[in-house]
Amino acid sequence: MKRIRRLMFLAAGPYAPQFRSTLRISVIASVVQALAYAAFIPLLAALAADPADTGTAWLWVGVLVVLVVVEALLRLKESAFTFDYWHLVTGDTRTRLGERLRSMPQQELGRRAAGDLTTVVGGNVTSAATGISAFSTLFVQLVTVPALLGVVVLAVDWRLGLVLVAAVVISVPLMRRLRNLSNQGFRRVDTANAGAASRIVEYVQGLPVFKATGQAGADSPRLVEVFAHQHEANATANRSASVPVAALQFLVQAAVIALVVLGASLVLDARLTLPLLLAVVVAAARFAEPLAAAVTMSKLFELCEAALTRVSEVLDAGTLPVRPGGRQPSSFGITFSGVSFTYEGRTDPVLRDVSLEVPERSLTALVGPSGSGKTTITRLMTRFADPQQGEVRLGGVDVASLEPEELMHHFAVVFQDVYLFDDTILANIAMGRPDATREEVLAAAEAANVHTFAERLPDGYETRVGEIGSALSGGERQRISIARAILKDAPVVLLDEPTAALDTESEVVVQQAIDNLVTGKTVVVIAHRLSTVVGADQILVFEDGQVVQRGTHTELIQQDGRYGSMWRAQTRAKEWRLVRS
Amino acid sequence: MSAEDDTGMKPVLDLVALSPAVRSGLARALALGALGGIAAVGGYVCVALSVGELFEADRSFAAFGRWAGGAFALLTLSFFAKWLAEQVAHHASFDLEVVLRRALADALARMPLGVVQRTGSGRIKKIVQDDVAALHNVVADAVPFFGGVAAQPVAALIALAIVQWKLLLVVLLVVPVAMVSFSLMARDYTTQRERYNQAAEDVNNAVVEFVQGMPVVRTFDDGRTSFRRFGAAVQRFTDAVGAWTETSRSASAFNRLVIVPLPTLLVVAACGTPMLAAGWISPADLVLGLLIGAMPIEAIAPLMHLTNLINDSKAGAVRIGELFAVPPLPEPAEPRTPVGAEVALRGVTFGYSPDRPVLTDVTIEVPAGTVCALVGPSGSGKSTVARLIPRFYDVTGGAVLVGGVDVREMSSEVLLRHVTLVFQDPFLVDGTIAENIRLAKPSATDDEVIAAARAAAAHEFIVGELADGYDSQVGERGGRLSGGQRQRITIARAMLSDAPVVVLDEATAFADPESEAAIQEAVARLTVGRTVIVIAHKLNTITGVDQIVVLDDGRVAERGRHVDLVSAGGRYASLWARHEQAASWGLAGTKVKGVTA
Repeated sequence: MKRIRRLMFLAAGPYAPQFRSTLRISVIASVVQALAYAAFIPLLAALAADPADTGTAWLWVGVLVVLVVVEALLRLKESAFTFDYWHLVTGDTRTRLGERLRSMPQQELGRRAAGDLTTVVGGNVTSAATGISAFSTLFVQLVTVPALLGVVVLAVDWRLGLVLVAAVVISVPLMRRLRNLSNQGFRRVDTANAGAASRIVEYVQGLPVFKATGQAGADSPRLVEVFAHQHEANATANRSASVPVAALQFLVQAAVIALVVLGASLVLDARLTLPLLLAVVVAAARFAEPLAAAVTMSKLFELCEAALTRVSEVLDAGTLPVRPGGRQPSSFGITFSGVSFTYEGRTDPVLRDVSLEVPERSLTALVGPSGSGKTTITRLMTRFADPQQGEVRLGGVDVASLEPEELMHHFAVVFQDVYLFDDTILANIAMGRPDATREEVLAAAEAANVHTFAERLPDGYETRVGEIGSALSGGERQRISIARAILKDAPVVLLDEPTAALDTESEVVVQQAIDNLVTGKTVVVIAHRLSTVVGADQILVFEDGQVVQRGTHTELIQQDGRYGSMWRAQTRAKEWRLVRS
Repeated sequence: MSAEDDTGMKPVLDLVALSPAVRSGLARALALGALGGIAAVGGYVCVALSVGELFEADRSFAAFGRWAGGAFALLTLSFFAKWLAEQVAHHASFDLEVVLRRALADALARMPLGVVQRTGSGRIKKIVQDDVAALHNVVADAVPFFGGVAAQPVAALIALAIVQWKLLLVVLLVVPVAMVSFSLMARDYTTQRERYNQAAEDVNNAVVEFVQGMPVVRTFDDGRTSFRRFGAAVQRFTDAVGAWTETSRSASAFNRLVIVPLPTLLVVAACGTPMLAAGWISPADLVLGLLIGAMPIEAIAPLMHLTNLINDSKAGAVRIGELFAVPPLPEPAEPRTPVGAEVALRGVTFGYSPDRPVLTDVTIEVPAGTVCALVGPSGSGKSTVARLIPRFYDVTGGAVLVGGVDVREMSSEVLLRHVTLVFQDPFLVDGTIAENIRLAKPSATDDEVIAAARAAAAHEFIVGELADGYDSQVGERGGRLSGGQRQRITIARAMLSDAPVVVLDEATAFADPESEAAIQEAVARLTVGRTVIVIAHKLNTITGVDQIVVLDDGRVAERGRHVDLVSAGGRYASLWARHEQAASWGLAGTKVKGVTA
């Protein structure tokens, strides 16, 4: 309970004071509500007396009216939080989550699946806010009212009160057991669902193969298997959770009947007056209802708790520390000295004691098999994460002493992976430098050969990317990303083999765009096709997290090493023909 | 229920109607829910009557006990009926999930593969998994509840009429108020909710864009622009919700105040006091009024919480219905069997939408055992040609023939056994290497599997690099293998299938530079003795093929062998010139010498 309360206040953020006062109002309203039910006791006592004491009854009706009105007003005030703040809480929480995502270390960001984070920022925020605005007050009411009614009945007649207290005492462990069971059930269902989801994706992707072998359709063996498992998990979870639920609800009803029977026998023995019994019966009926509701609501509470937990996990994520002594670099050579790096959760380092130098305004190529550490080198330059040992310096300044955002100002990056926003082509390019004028953006677009296809589109540069969707080819998307980089005009350019996945026609124009981008910059390129980097000032050959060879193409070809064998293998591959001519 | 709500539930009911067993299960649950509601009313009537016995002059525990026993029996019955209703509904709902998922799998298998591909595995997964699961809210949670909603108020009012009609009149005072409240709830649903849903969808899209783009976006934007976009969408949502709650505020507040027991109880007490004083009713009657007077209101109270969940379910039901509504690809009544391995397109016209043809009057003849390369800029239609051969779509004009038979005249199973696809995205199931290769021919022996792997240049890494050899798990979607390894597994599968026609995306051969040579070797072996249609990107690989078809804007622009096309000086010749230029490019303006293109 304490934990949920803390999480709720964390998620409420700047609206915590309003939330606190709403909870207070909720408690007061519940007390008033319990008092209103309690007022039926003297009222009925007066009416059932022989002869009926109408005067007293009217007095209590009056009291009841006042309590009902006061409760209604308090409930209105309580629900005002939903109307006035629910949407503000979602907005504020999403904004805070956005800030966290923006400042979260890249490595941390990469660890979480995008789909997961989308759920956190999307649906989980909604559930959490609803938990804060609606469920918290409902919970207060469900707990407070029966408890107070129990106390009232106890005060009227301790023997009858004990029946209710006993019901509560028995229900607490049942509740706890229910929680455990349904948590276990939920987990099994989650696993079964995840398994089914991945089989469905598999089925869709492999449909041609499955159809060819008669494994498609309603009897597809791989699907039938997971669906049956899923059914079984659902049914088991439901069955095991339903028994304690049933027991609880039965218990509450049995308690009311027991109270009536015990009360009747007390009346018959003249140890209790009949009017009091009537009154207690009416009050006890009210005792049962919220408790039964609490059981059915528990599923919603659990969802809300899970959502709150996930939201707070992201809100609590740390940032990369910035070392003191940072200053703006004035030159743009890059040095690695004794750098070792291990990815989170791995044991073997991906870089071992790497020292290298990228002189300003030179072209350095990183080559080597996948997993040899060349991508990690570019990541460490932009503070994807900080190395466990050694230092990375930009223009002599330790990058760990710069804010990641500040550092990124000096880099322009073109990777194979291009991300376009659902906005116009022009706006997508302008993201490279938000304060650029329209002329500057168009100049960058021209230099990146964007104009050749943008002019053919119905609305030119104003065409929205979302509307033409996949109509943009890989090469066209790549040119937009190069235009962004040209517009940014950063002194250091990082390239990750941007032409590897393109077809012939795109390749030439993308190549021209890259030529325009790299002129006069410090360039680091990850290269798979050695032929594209033979002109590099320096080629660094990576193997197993270390630089095993370095030099120009001519120098490396003369040494009989790793580079030489890679070069020969690629030359052979290029001569390959689908059918020998 | 209002008329609007009935039409709203139609998509859900249509789905339930798919399974008679589920439907009768739900009918039972509804009846049991109603029984539970009625029994609860009866139970509380008995409680009131038992207490009433105590007022009798000759009161005895026996007389009291009869009613109390009745109360216990009825409340127990109510409890069991409600519990059973829930169990029956839940199980019916779980059964329905399986029925629907299998029916969807069937629908997917029957609809054109192209439609499946274009819908995308992510979206289909959402429908088959999440939307079907969301039906649970309506089917399992709402059905027994609706039984109670319908029966309990009516039963309570009837009970009052029988035992003490004067109190019925009092309770009926509250009914108009409840009706107003009910209609307010209905109005919220139709008019306001749509606006809210739109805002919610917008903010969700913004979240997806912001989160998924983040790792890439950081490389060109310090986050300012994308964050501003995200912030703006969040703000729009906040404003939309603010505006909505402002307009619906009074209605919601009214519901919040009325759909609770206390006001009804107050009315009963306030009216009951003078009635009792005047001797119209007895104290026991008043107790009855207080015990069951609020039951009609209580029965509908949870509706407020259920509405959201029910709306989600309905939206999902609509999406499920849309998938069911995709017309299946017609299967021939008397299927024919292809003879031989030649492939032909004769005067084929096709468009994904009727107004925009992608292919116009395309004729291509590929004799058995020859290689045909499709060349052309992106959007020229070469991928579409490749998709029409295994009948991912039906042509709008002309015909596609495989082995001399129109693809529409053979069963899709036979066609897909005859034509094997090696596309850019390698498809692997979460299982062992052997299982993955064997998918193409479930009856294959271990030796056949190994032979296929050897031919696909996969045997070496399977035995040499993987801990458990052919029994190694490949992980979800082959995640434990490298790109090149996945490619070779799919090629091994194509080898094993022994289909005489291969449709190949040549980019496959270049997906992973690390294992390029091995993949090239595998592809070369796959093409031996088969009819091959290849989508070509790098022109140097196809200089030796039997036939090159150059597509431009959905038409065949040129066809012939490499040498002839180059000397013809047409479209192909200019593509070839560009290709040579691209192959000699190097960073830092260096033209590379001595590298063959």
